[in-house]
Amino acid sequence: MDTLQLAWLCMIFPFIGVVMIALMDRISPTLRSAAAVLFPLLSAAASLMILPNLFHPGALPLESSIIWLDAPILVEFGVLVDPLSIILANVVAIVSSIIAVYCLGYMEGDPGKTRFLMLVNLFIGSMLLLVLVNNLLFLFVGWKLVGLCSYALIGYYWRDEKKYWIGGPAPTKFTTPSHCGLKALVVTGLGDMLMLGGFFIVYYYAKTLNIMELYSTASIWIPAMAKTPGMIILATCLLLAGPIGKSAQFPFHEWLPEAMAGPGPVSALIHAATMVKSGVYLVARFIPIFYYGYWVAGVEEASMFFTIVAWVGVITAFVAATQGLVALELKKALAFSTVSQIGYMWVGLGMAGLSQSVLVGGTTSGIFHLVSHAVFKACLFLCAGSVIHAAHSIYMNDMGSMRKYMPITWIAMLIAALCLMGLPPFPGFWSKDMILLKALEAHHLPIFILSMLTVVLTAFYTTRMVGMIFFGQESKNVQHLKEEGKPPHEASPTMWGACAVLAVLVVALGLLGPKVEHIIQEGFSANLTGTLSLPVMPAGEHPFNYHIFVSVLSVMSILLGAIPAYMIYISRKWDPKAMVEGNSILQSFHKFFWNRWYIDAFYLKFIMNGTLKLGNIVANKIEKNYDNLSHTKIPGFVVDRIPALFFRLQTESEDLAFNLVYILIIFIGFLFAVLL
Amino acid sequence: MMSHILLQIVVVPAIASLVILLTRQQIGKNAGWLAGCSLLYSTGLLLLACIRVYHGEIIVENYPFVSSAITFDLLGDGLSLPIALIINMLCAALAFYAMHYVEHRIEAIYGDVDERTWRNHYTRFYIMFLGFPLGFMGVCLVTNLIAMYFFLELLPIPLYFIMAMFGYVDRVKVAMICLLWAITGASFFILAALMTYSQIGSFHISDLSALAGNPMAFWIILFFLVALLVKMAIVPFQVWMPQVHAEHPTCIAGLLAVYANVAAYVIVRILVFPLLDDFKVFSMPLLILGLATMVYGSLLTMAQTDVKRFAACSTISQLAYSLLGIAALTITSLEGGMFFFLSHIMGKTILFSTAGILVYTTGIRDMRQMGGLASKMPITTALWIMGAMMLSGFPPMSSFPAEWLLFTGVFHTGIEMMPGGLIIAILAATAITLTVAYTFRSAKIIFFGKMNPDIELHAHGEIKDPPAMMLIPLLFIAGVSITLGLFPKIILTLFHNVIGTLPLP
Repeated sequence: MDTLQLAWLCMIFPFIGVVMIALMDRISPTLRSAAAVLFPLLSAAASLMILPNLFHPGALPLESSIIWLDAPILVEFGVLVDPLSIILANVVAIVSSIIAVYCLGYMEGDPGKTRFLMLVNLFIGSMLLLVLVNNLLFLFVGWKLVGLCSYALIGYYWRDEKKYWIGGPAPTKFTTPSHCGLKALVVTGLGDMLMLGGFFIVYYYAKTLNIMELYSTASIWIPAMAKTPGMIILATCLLLAGPIGKSAQFPFHEWLPEAMAGPGPVSALIHAATMVKSGVYLVARFIPIFYYGYWVAGVEEASMFFTIVAWVGVITAFVAATQGLVALELKKALAFSTVSQIGYMWVGLGMAGLSQSVLVGGTTSGIFHLVSHAVFKACLFLCAGSVIHAAHSIYMNDMGSMRKYMPITWIAMLIAALCLMGLPPFPGFWSKDMILLKALEAHHLPIFILSMLTVVLTAFYTTRMVGMIFFGQESKNVQHLKEEGKPPHEASPTMWGACAVLAVLVVALGLLGPKVEHIIQEGFSANLTGTLSLPVMPAGEHPFNYHIFVSVLSVMSILLGAIPAYMIYISRKWDPKAMVEGNSILQSFHKFFWNRWYIDAFYLKFIMNGTLKLGNIVANKIEKNYDNLSHTKIPGFVVDRIPALFFRLQTESEDLAFNLVYILIIFIGFLFAVLL
Repeated sequence: MMSHILLQIVVVPAIASLVILLTRQQIGKNAGWLAGCSLLYSTGLLLLACIRVYHGEIIVENYPFVSSAITFDLLGDGLSLPIALIINMLCAALAFYAMHYVEHRIEAIYGDVDERTWRNHYTRFYIMFLGFPLGFMGVCLVTNLIAMYFFLELLPIPLYFIMAMFGYVDRVKVAMICLLWAITGASFFILAALMTYSQIGSFHISDLSALAGNPMAFWIILFFLVALLVKMAIVPFQVWMPQVHAEHPTCIAGLLAVYANVAAYVIVRILVFPLLDDFKVFSMPLLILGLATMVYGSLLTMAQTDVKRFAACSTISQLAYSLLGIAALTITSLEGGMFFFLSHIMGKTILFSTAGILVYTTGIRDMRQMGGLASKMPITTALWIMGAMMLSGFPPMSSFPAEWLLFTGVFHTGIEMMPGGLIIAILAATAITLTVAYTFRSAKIIFFGKMNPDIELHAHGEIKDPPAMMLIPLLFIAGVSITLGLFPKIILTLFHNVIGTLPLP
């Protein structure tokens, strides 16, 4: 079987899974569960079989398609196998299939399990469609389906029972799952539609939706687009709106912390393997186009793409990390960390176009961080799901000392947490350091400094999270559970097994980190500078060894964040409550971060309530008055006044002027009709 | 069967209606079956005609009528036939759906009546109902302005009577409003038709091109447009739509969406094709009106709490998409606009009919009093969400490729008409988010969350999914929409054979 056939199969298997789950459900729950796992595993196997192509990037890209529509526009449905799609397909398929296995244990006994498993397969299939297709239309199909699946999965507990509410504790507001699903759909939907506008502008100039054709014809359409001042900037902003929404980047990042209202594996899917990665993927897809525009065609406006990407990334990374410092809900803390880490990926990708020597390295750094993040974040979320399951609470302060009860989960989560912090030799270290290095090499010091500051914050909130869950005293909640005869316990074998596999993968990826980085870099180098012939410059001489400098600074930053957190949450020598209560500045910061920089409140008040208010004005003021005028006042006037006119004509005949005008009007009216 | 195929398509509903009228006491409850089967037959004929057209044929049937000026000639081409097919299919589906629904309305309005009276009411519905397919098929297939006027104005008659006899609160008053607005539109239409005759001496649509460049062409187009924009409820003529759609029995509310949207087809047929150059001057104003209507309709919908009025207000917004596609005047936008018209009427039929199911089952119309119904009505929930997907342009629904094509053209024109055109295009694309927001928000309010414990008090019996006869037609429509979404080539090839001939980018 050749590579292209495998790519087709990789994409199609989960969709077959959706149908098979529904069919098998009629026969037996065991077969249904088997189907739910089998097809993602088959996809993973197919993606693994494509992987060797990454070692021979010179033979790429490969493309196969069929005509879907030939009039009024030509649209082909096909697959594109190049280094980017190979890496993404593997990340999606492998991590998702492990999550699919975990789902079986997690959803045991749930009455909606069939629906859940079908949606999970559809989610995986849609994401694979997104990363493997060869044109923007079908990419958008995958994009929309991913959004739709996330809506259904985030709002999975649609009955909105209190136990599934997130947010709080009081007086902080709670949010229901159905609300969270809707929020995700609408916020990402807004980005989608703006991005669609960007696609149409690109299509107008390029006359093609095929990704490879967009690359190959960039020399024609980019200069044509540049003839209209501001057009490339407009297209850039529109095109990036979609990825900003899907990847939960500032200012569209507020949906993701609430997307954890769904079951645990859903959060793992959204954060690690699927949805949020789609934005990173698309940004990486656009890099060659805008790089060409800026560095080859000399279009100054094209550089805005990279500047926006890098700044959006670093702002998001920092903002989200500050929110992670104070989060009490376990999954919310992880959600903030996802937003923050995706921001790092954006920084790496942004750097790719800001210096000619960083194209390959910047792209590699962003995508390498995507890979490592997928593995450690999946592990973190699955472990979080197990812990929440065991503690019967979403709050970290309802946990404490859980390592006694869940040793395997604890070890797995600790490994993933160290990786999140970026400690060597875990993959997070290699990938994050590469991003920081590229920021330095591109001479973007503000971005570099802000990124490094975020490393400190990341180390703090990660240590805090581990400390609050697994160390310290048992919380009242845990004690209460023990009293009730339901002490926390290790998760079921499918659950801890999946966590353990991911933890092993984290370690393996860390040990092989430089090798993996090299393979990815070689792939992108062959693709970007070979196939697409994008010109690059060798890195200039540095005044000192940037690599060692960044590594040392990075480890120091980690220590700077982790040590205070260790003292507060693990050794418990410092009392955080006393520290905050005794310091008004800390109190203000705590409040500010706890309220998420008031960004969510702003959206709620001005965007959501504002739109609803506007709707009410339209309905209750404008439309109502217009309706009254059209259907009451005007007919009333006509019915009342016309007989009165006749009445006057008959009885007030002495009023000659009135009668004359009246008769004239009627006469002219008739005349006009006849002439016509 | 294949001779006079177009004539059969038009007259079969009329004959079925006549048969029901003449045998109403004998046929009784079987009137629904007769209506449905007759429409299935004409749908089959349309399918055959479409296949012939797909293979390159154009079907023309000439039937002299009053004089050589006013004929009853029929044209089946790649534009008229697919539109007629989908409309007829919806009529057939709704004929079956209405069987239970009409019983429920008769019981609700007239209470316990004797068998004879009941049969009179029941058959009366179907006698009138068949006026819709008759009118729609006529509008789609005729080639003469007076014949088109006749069929367009035939439609308000069943509308008026069904509304007055089977509608909801204020049904007689609202039926009158509907009729008056129809007459207003009709006046402009006939005025424009007479002005056309005064200039070119013909009512044939194919002769309208003789008007090109005529100084009167602007006014003729304007009057035609006013007539048709009134029907489409485009701002500022939208005011009749919420009341009329909300008070109708929902088994025909889907057809009301067709009634309004078919005007988009008429614009393409009588204005865009023959008078393209003269029509271009209206492009920008229509784009602005389209955008204004999309946003206004969406905001209006967002404020609704009445489940029927909700669906009604969303129609205002959705109709504007087709107008936007027409106004953009490119091949892709016109084909997308027509395809969106079909997608919208399918989606709206599902949404309206599901709203009907909710009213039928729960006995209430206020969405806020519902909630949590998904646990009791899972198929209805699925239908509502599919309707929401169809309106919001989600794949794999047919509205997805339709919207894609439509906006490809709108952006093309937008860039050509920069900066105003491009701003309109971007705002219009963004306005789709409002559709996503209001449709899925309604799903949340009605079906998700905690169930209202008082809801059982209002309900007609147990709260559950309605009988299969009400669900199957709607599921079938959803299936058609998905099929066309996955394989849009089926319909777009037909459209392109006709619209592709226009000298447009």
